Amino acid sequence: MTLRAMLMRRLVLALPLLLGILFFTFMLVRLGGQDPVGLLAGPTATTEEIEIIRNELGLDKPLFTQFAIYIENVFQGDIGRSWISNRSVLHDILERIPITLELLLWGVAIGALIGVPIGLRAAFRHDKLFDHISRSVSLLGFSIPTYFLGLLLLFVFFFLLGWAPPGLGRISLLISPPPTITGSYLIDSLLTGNFDAAGSAFSQLVLPVISVAIISAAPIVKHTRAIALEVIGSDFVRFARASGLPTERVRRIVLKNSSTPVTTFIGTELTGLVGSVSLIEYVFAWGGVGQYGLNAIIRGDFAAVQGYVLFLALFSLLVFIIVDLLVLVLEPRAGAE
Amino acid sequence: MNLRKSLMGVAGAAALTAFLGGAAAAETLVIAAPGTPEGFDGDALRPFTQHVVVQTYEGLTRYPKIMRDGKPVLDASRVEGHYAESWTVSNGGKTVTMKLREGVMSQDGNELTAADVEWSWAKSFAQKRTGNFIARVSNVTGVTAKSKYEVDFTLEAPSAIFLNAITLYVPGIYDSTVMKEQATSEDPWGLKYIETNTAGFGAYKLESLRAGEQAIFVANPNYHWDKPFFDRVVWRAVPSEASRVTLLKSGQVQWIDRPSIRQAVQLQRATNVKVEAVTGRSISSLRMNPKFEPFNDARVRRALNMAVDKDAIKRGVFEGTGTTAKSVVPPIVDGYTDKHFTYDYDPDGAKKLLSEAGAEGAEVEILYSDITPWQETMAIQVADQLNRVGLKVTPKRITGSDMRSRGAPAVQDMPFFTFEDGPIVLDPVYTMYLIAHSKGVSNRAAYNNPELDRLVDAARQELDRDKRIALMDEAQKIWVEDAPWIMTVYPDTMEAMSTRITGWTYYPDEHERWSDLRYQ
Amino acid sequence: MADLAIGSAAQNKSAIDKAWGRIVGLSKRSPTSVIGFGIILFFGFLALFAPLVMPYDPVQANPDLILQGPSAAHWFGTDGNGMDVLSRVIYGSRFAFGIAIPVVIVALALGVPIGLYAGYKGGNIDEIIMRVVDAFRVFPSIILALAVVAAAGPSLLNVVLVIGILDAPIFVRVVRAEVLALRSSNFVEAGVIVGNPTRRILFVHLLPNAISGAMAQTAVRGAWAVRISATLAFLGIGIQPPTPEWGAMIRQGAEFMVNGQWWVGIFPGVALILMVLGLNMFGDGLQDLLDPKRRSAGK
Repeated sequence: MTLRAMLMRRLVLALPLLLGILFFTFMLVRLGGQDPVGLLAGPTATTEEIEIIRNELGLDKPLFTQFAIYIENVFQGDIGRSWISNRSVLHDILERIPITLELLLWGVAIGALIGVPIGLRAAFRHDKLFDHISRSVSLLGFSIPTYFLGLLLLFVFFFLLGWAPPGLGRISLLISPPPTITGSYLIDSLLTGNFDAAGSAFSQLVLPVISVAIISAAPIVKHTRAIALEVIGSDFVRFARASGLPTERVRRIVLKNSSTPVTTFIGTELTGLVGSVSLIEYVFAWGGVGQYGLNAIIRGDFAAVQGYVLFLALFSLLVFIIVDLLVLVLEPRAGAE
Repeated sequence: MNLRKSLMGVAGAAALTAFLGGAAAAETLVIAAPGTPEGFDGDALRPFTQHVVVQTYEGLTRYPKIMRDGKPVLDASRVEGHYAESWTVSNGGKTVTMKLREGVMSQDGNELTAADVEWSWAKSFAQKRTGNFIARVSNVTGVTAKSKYEVDFTLEAPSAIFLNAITLYVPGIYDSTVMKEQATSEDPWGLKYIETNTAGFGAYKLESLRAGEQAIFVANPNYHWDKPFFDRVVWRAVPSEASRVTLLKSGQVQWIDRPSIRQAVQLQRATNVKVEAVTGRSISSLRMNPKFEPFNDARVRRALNMAVDKDAIKRGVFEGTGTTAKSVVPPIVDGYTDKHFTYDYDPDGAKKLLSEAGAEGAEVEILYSDITPWQETMAIQVADQLNRVGLKVTPKRITGSDMRSRGAPAVQDMPFFTFEDGPIVLDPVYTMYLIAHSKGVSNRAAYNNPELDRLVDAARQELDRDKRIALMDEAQKIWVEDAPWIMTVYPDTMEAMSTRITGWTYYPDEHERWSDLRYQ
Repeated sequence: MADLAIGSAAQNKSAIDKAWGRIVGLSKRSPTSVIGFGIILFFGFLALFAPLVMPYDPVQANPDLILQGPSAAHWFGTDGNGMDVLSRVIYGSRFAFGIAIPVVIVALALGVPIGLYAGYKGGNIDEIIMRVVDAFRVFPSIILALAVVAAAGPSLLNVVLVIGILDAPIFVRVVRAEVLALRSSNFVEAGVIVGNPTRRILFVHLLPNAISGAMAQTAVRGAWAVRISATLAFLGIGIQPPTPEWGAMIRQGAEFMVNGQWWVGIFPGVALILMVLGLNMFGDGLQDLLDPKRRSAGK
């Protein structure tokens, strides 16, 4: 199967899922028995605004027609208006995506750099002390609430030690941000040679990125270990061992055979992490989609909540598709099925 | 713990960066507040709207600023011209003609004319909200441009507070040239535009807004009076109060929006922060809506008043600052009296009254919001006290926007909630009309007593000070008997700022003016 | 696995012996799960006997004891309302169990029958159910819970129902997988031939055999429920103050940390971590014990 055919197949398969997701965001404001118009319009709406929204939603029509109207709007790029920002939700979210990605990608990259070697080592030293310790530590990583980790880091490294800046966005208030090139303050300020801004962006990044790294490393350790153990237990490796290959060679074989499933796992983990990252954004006032979405949930800005949930679902879908394609590239055999 | 050292390190680094960053003369004031302003229309107050419209819109008149004990204060006993240069009263006090100052330029470069004033008041009349209330309370029924620089105010009866009322930011005086360009047939007053823009003649204008993150204001380049010291004001949304305080201590911001009393007391010990306090004009209260059970029974409302130990609230919530509240007219206002107040702390009496009313064990919710930071603490501690007289009280948080919209005159559907506000015109009749009258915009809990309305309406037409005070004395007595609120404390107004800042002046609306502030 | 399922009492007894043997073996092999169980017991004890263990009333305000640091009288200090933090942390364990247990019950009650049915019926029904279950995977569960609770209204009942429903797909998947493996086995076929109704086959024949995989997940799902409900409260959406719930307490404490009054937020945070850690450690062992896949993989 060619790459293109594969992509098409994935997209076709994603369509019913997409419909399901849209149905969910559609139902979200109709769940609680509250007036959806009231939820979407927000507390500050005037009677006229409420009337306009009521007409737009077609609430007098049957549910199915309402859903059709909703889908039509979404495909025209109209996912509603936030009453807090008074702007189109689509606009609000698009603007914040690079901000979230900066945190998410740095965090997961470092999480993987820490997690994969530990997981591999734990598998090689199965049931030894290192394995037990790493397993306990990763359990701790699973158990620490995301936001509490952020608060704790701030308390220790900002308040007690004074090493880190207060958790307040992506750059010091006193420094003007660099022009947008990639959307990452750190990279953009380095590209433009603005080292003050780069320094500030870096110091703002440290604690939130460490938080994301810790949160993401725990499952990476666990799954890398499991994957590597499975490979080690496979007939193939057993045979290699039995035929007296040196340990170093055997390990290389394990490494090679684990790389694709581990990559796949890290990819799919991104989808779950966007949720935790939102909480980290909230604690560090990071200003990305996550903070926007949580703020919308807390304040009851339901047009924005719908948009946020939709964004998360689409992001996950996209990641799944990319991961599938990646597997195909890494291991062309898999595509043949 | 070498906290101080580390914080000073941060401040030092910050100062260094500032020094390296820009040697230009442009001065920036950075403010940290819980959120960004949710609108810039003084007629439709949303969270932080009031705080910023006072920077962008100014009054026809103002209170003169004088120095007292080396500090600037407003002399609220007199009124002087601001946009209006002078005024004449005719027709037995029913017509006031304002002569506008010439050459006052808007943020967009248009000159202030009588047409702007006429348009702005027409907008407030049409919206029937805050500005309309100000018009009603000062008996204004119409505003018409007489010539380019002359405006006629028509009053239905002479008003003792008219000149005070027009010191306010609402009805704001808009640049009607700009506003008319923004008007559409669905939105004839351009309200959409001022949700995210300003168009006034005041010291600052909104330059950019990222909702929920920051708003940037710049000094009005055409400002008629002295150019403000700060060219730019960066308003940053910092939802956590802890972070706001941290930023202030570390020197990254120079001003924080209303610190909580608790933080203010803590901040008094910080080295590079100063806290200034004055007796405020607000009343912290829990309001009971007589449209709902069990608050439809006056005995229940009285019992709740007796069940709350106000001194304990003052200590537990306000760190012992402020003044125990005994009247709906705060002490800063002429005509305040506590002689009618009868609800001393008496839990046993409260229990007795509750059982008489058949309301023992009633389940009620206290709604509270984050409009002022101590609402949660107060709701919790009052709930605890009420539980001790046998009620089942649960505090419940709602958003500030919800609280404001549900307390609006047309809604008023909250049975029991905390709120804090007070009169921006320091006058007893204004206060009673605002808070206690059935038409008052700050009533919020559907309190309605025709007898009290009658007294207030009579006083609104009255010019003689003693007669007005006598009428309001009687109104305060009725209020205490009806007991629609549990009043707790008149909190002090506290502002926390960088020690470099000077010039802060207290205004009855409790918002600093950025144009007053400068570096030492 | 099939040998565990039906048969005489003697066989059952030997099964119990085997299980016990496995537990003993596990405690040797995986001391962490024993520690986890100990932590759960500890919090369970606190929750059951909270009124006896708490030194003070956890919701009694005291205006003269606001934000006092840890002392002999108040081991964990007092919070912003003068309430005793230790008593509140102790009482908070009730909410942890009060949410974890019903959430897992809701998730089991929904997920197990659906999983049984899907696995047993197969075909289109299975296909549709699994599509829906898979669809849940595209949303980060934390955010989904937050959004739905915010829309449905933040009551304790809603929190439990929403988290429970969101958790059900995991049980659907686990149970279905086991049923698929069992479906063709002799005793099920025997049941069909004898003419038992579907309901009977599902709940009498399949359930006892398919449930172990689901049970293996319970502790870990309980840990997740505790975490997520605390997250809701931390954001101010779930349980509200002054209710002594750990997440709500961390929320309050976050505001005081900056003044050095760390005890208000740190103690409930540590309690929350311990409880979740205990459940996760125990759950890890439970999976080794009950999950057939992991058991064989562990060999």
